[in-house]
Amino acid sequence: MKFFKKSDILIAAVLLIVSLGVYLVYDSIYGQSETRAEIYYYSELAKTVELNSGETGNFSISQEPDVVFHISDDGTIAFVESDCPDKVCIKTGALDSVGQYAACLPNGVVLKIVPAGERNVEDPDIVVGR
Amino acid sequence: MAVIETGKPIIKNLNKTQKMVLASLIFATALVLAVVESMLPPPPIPVPGVKFGLSNIAVMYALFFLGWKQAYAIALLKGIFVFATRGAIAGALSLAGGVLSITVMLLLMVMFRSKISYTGISIFGAVFHNVGQFTVIALLYAGMNIWAFLPILLVSGVIAGIVTSTLLRFVMPAFQRLV
Repeated sequence: MKFFKKSDILIAAVLLIVSLGVYLVYDSIYGQSETRAEIYYYSELAKTVELNSGETGNFSISQEPDVVFHISDDGTIAFVESDCPDKVCIKTGALDSVGQYAACLPNGVVLKIVPAGERNVEDPDIVVGR
Repeated sequence: MAVIETGKPIIKNLNKTQKMVLASLIFATALVLAVVESMLPPPPIPVPGVKFGLSNIAVMYALFFLGWKQAYAIALLKGIFVFATRGAIAGALSLAGGVLSITVMLLLMVMFRSKISYTGISIFGAVFHNVGQFTVIALLYAGMNIWAFLPILLVSGVIAGIVTSTLLRFVMPAFQRLV
């Protein structure tokens, strides 16, 4: 077996094209839609916030008061405070488009963006373990 | 280098004890690589938590030149080590990624034999390492949307796969001296 082959370039190219294609299709469907943030505490929906309502400010969920979220006036939401060691959730930054998520795994808190409005079969979410 | 190009190196002549010792040396190398990686600055991309997975270099060496049992053993031990040092969730992530990645690489090696290169296998290994970890996150926490993350998983897998197999190419002489 060799270390490099010309077919490697093909493999890499196909994977990159597939990912670009998935991204473009996804973005064209959900890129511009109204958004809502769902906050989960160990797979349990703890709080839902509308992001385009114009409300701003900090809040936290009752199950984990040490984790603080912030909604900005441009419709983005982010983790701003957490007592976890690595702060990956805060480093993720502000979220605004459907499908993005930020997670604070040590605290079991997951923040994700879903399309606004009622959940229906058209939603692309794969819901497992609930 | 002739050893590398022909695939099966000197390791064939080792007895059971020698293989076990070699596997544990490779496992130790994997841990050191993980520590080294944690000291490096994270890759300059907007997605947090994505890394090259340098310890996969050691796992790939074990899979390619020692045997599939040793590769699985190293992934399992690494999962236990991560569980002990960084907690249950990190351990489950490491284990799921490692086992799925080795399984896919093993299948490709059996199916394509000499038609696929180490780099090709490494790319798929890295992609499925990501997929395994993502699956665990999706199972443990809220249902995640795989389509939104597939591009990130694929692109970072391709880059990580190329980086690790290139590095394996260069550290190979050092590994061969372990024998």
